[in-house]
Amino acid sequence: MEWYKLIAVAALFICIMVFAIQFIRLIKLGVPKDLSKRDGDVKGAVIYSFTNAMAPAQKESAYMHLPTYAAGLVYHMGTFAALLLFVLLMIFSFAGIMLPVFISTVVSGAFLFTSLSGIGILFKRILNRELRSLSGFDDYISNILTSGIQLVSALYLLFPSVEIFYFLTSALLFIWLPLGKTKHLMYFFFARFHLGFFYGWRGTWPQKQH
Amino acid sequence: MEKIDKEKREKAIDLLRSKSDSKLITHLNSCVRCGLCAGSCMYYITMKEAKYIPAKKIDLVSSIYRRYCTLAGKTVPALVNAKDLDESMAEEMIDSLYGSCTMCGRCVKHCSIGVDIPYIVKKGREMLATMDMVPKTLQATVDAAINTGNNMGIPTVEFVDTIKWMEEELIDEMQDDKARIPLDEIDKDIFYTLNPREPKFFPLSISAMAKVLYAAEASWTLSSKYYDVTNYGFFNANMAEATQIAKNLYDEIHKLRGKRLILGECGHGSRANRWDGPNYLKKAYDFDTITAVELIGGYIRDGKIKLDKSLNKELYTIHDPCNLVRNGGMLEELRFVVKSSVANFIEMNPFGNDNFCCGGGGGALAMSEYNDRRLKIGEIKADQIRKTGAKVVITPCHNCVDQLLQLNHTYKLGVQIKTISEVVADALIIIKTN
Ligand code: SF4
Ligand code: SF4
Repeated sequence: MEWYKLIAVAALFICIMVFAIQFIRLIKLGVPKDLSKRDGDVKGAVIYSFTNAMAPAQKESAYMHLPTYAAGLVYHMGTFAALLLFVLLMIFSFAGIMLPVFISTVVSGAFLFTSLSGIGILFKRILNRELRSLSGFDDYISNILTSGIQLVSALYLLFPSVEIFYFLTSALLFIWLPLGKTKHLMYFFFARFHLGFFYGWRGTWPQKQH
Repeated sequence: MEKIDKEKREKAIDLLRSKSDSKLITHLNSCVRCGLCAGSCMYYITMKEAKYIPAKKIDLVSSIYRRYCTLAGKTVPALVNAKDLDESMAEEMIDSLYGSCTMCGRCVKHCSIGVDIPYIVKKGREMLATMDMVPKTLQATVDAAINTGNNMGIPTVEFVDTIKWMEEELIDEMQDDKARIPLDEIDKDIFYTLNPREPKFFPLSISAMAKVLYAAEASWTLSSKYYDVTNYGFFNANMAEATQIAKNLYDEIHKLRGKRLILGECGHGSRANRWDGPNYLKKAYDFDTITAVELIGGYIRDGKIKLDKSLNKELYTIHDPCNLVRNGGMLEELRFVVKSSVANFIEMNPFGNDNFCCGGGGGALAMSEYNDRRLKIGEIKADQIRKTGAKVVITPCHNCVDQLLQLNHTYKLGVQIKTISEVVADALIIIKTN
């Protein structure tokens, strides 16, 4: 295997390990040990937290900022797709499979689009005074790496000559994922769980009826 | 600002290393600083400054967490937005966490991720309390509760006098010598509690509740010493003090052998006793704890009290106290009681779990240094009330009542503010059984 592929695979391994350690720690810490008398349906609330409560109509962060919300959605889909693509490309490279040109072109076009969403969000962060004041290196690095991997994936699918660049960008992203705010990739799920737990315990979600 | 004592600073940082469960570490690691919560917070909406964005407030705490509790923050702090806990950081925390957040939780449901912002704000307050940096005004309220048994420092003699006076009024109104406001009686079904603002400023709300309890033929008592439902330890976030205040009530109900603790009309007091109290004391309560709203709701449902809505003819609206509704699950029950008591009712927009805080929560009413801010953010509530066209605003929380009265005056709303027991008492049909 080429040295740059080895670096990328090693980075992915480290990334998975760090996430696994964080995940195990969170699971070990467990749910809040609440001694008050429960007055609601925690399970129902946790389900609601991951479903209806996520609907754009339920959140001002979505319906009051529809363009940003839509861009964010596309951008996140692009990030997940890029991670998936990396795994598929590694498998294909072992199995000696070549992607048909048509598929490569379509997927590349999609990545170009998703990366532009990410870049749009980055520009918003740079141009908006308040958002800028909220931001630090982590915010810029996280965005550049996640938008970057989508852009580089788009290029790599069309121009295999950028292979080294693709795998090194992937390696950087894997190292950064569990360190920067990108770790919300995992913490998001725990946050939604705790939200459901909190509101469910008190009967706010689903609304308690007497 | 005074230098931070090193040992206390370490203790404050240690709070972020809590291993009690995964909630703290989850919320400290979840915010992506998208800034989309800004438009959900009344501080930002009314003042449009970056420092009022909810994410900005919690980032003060999470940046300290990253600095001292993560490898990346210890080695390359600038890369991961990790910051030192020094004097200027502490000063910013005081202004942001005590002075710019009522811990209403409105931003939580609207956050893109689901970060529990007030939970992190409270953790930051806990850190400041550990470093003895609670605003003096707020601390004075807690000290009064610790030293006298109630947050307004009302002497027992004065309280007992007020209760006796209200009892005489009740006897007159009911034309029944058996109408009572019992004090320190044992083995009663209900151990009732009050917000000290009631004996101090609004004694008629005590007689209103007494009238409801009289109509329901309830077996109840007040304590002459520990009747205070509030717990400002919840706001200053000094856990030892919050625990002491909750324990006073816990011990008193045991002393008087009360069966049920009924939390008087106070949002944070209800939250602090019902949801947090057992966790402060580290034991499940061996008696039922419910709010006055649920008690009255139960009376209506069980037919123990009869109401005539036509006695309350004006147009009424509800201000939902954050700690009872969004953070306490009381949305439907509150509406059930109100709709059973008034003929004309209109909702605010937004209402219920989405309602805006009155602006007086989070201990803001006790911190006079932030009065201007408090009244400014209250403009949202004033606009909401004005748009309903209602003549009476009902709210089952005396802290909210206080803030709403001030908004009524400041923004010339020309409305009446009433508690739930006052509205129910006005609609009561008293049936004499003898
Ligand atoms: S909406 Fe949530 S994730 Fe976004 S900045 Fe606000 S608190 Fe952070
Ligand atoms: S809890 Fe309320 S006051 Fe505090 S940041 Fe959130 S919306 Fe603003």
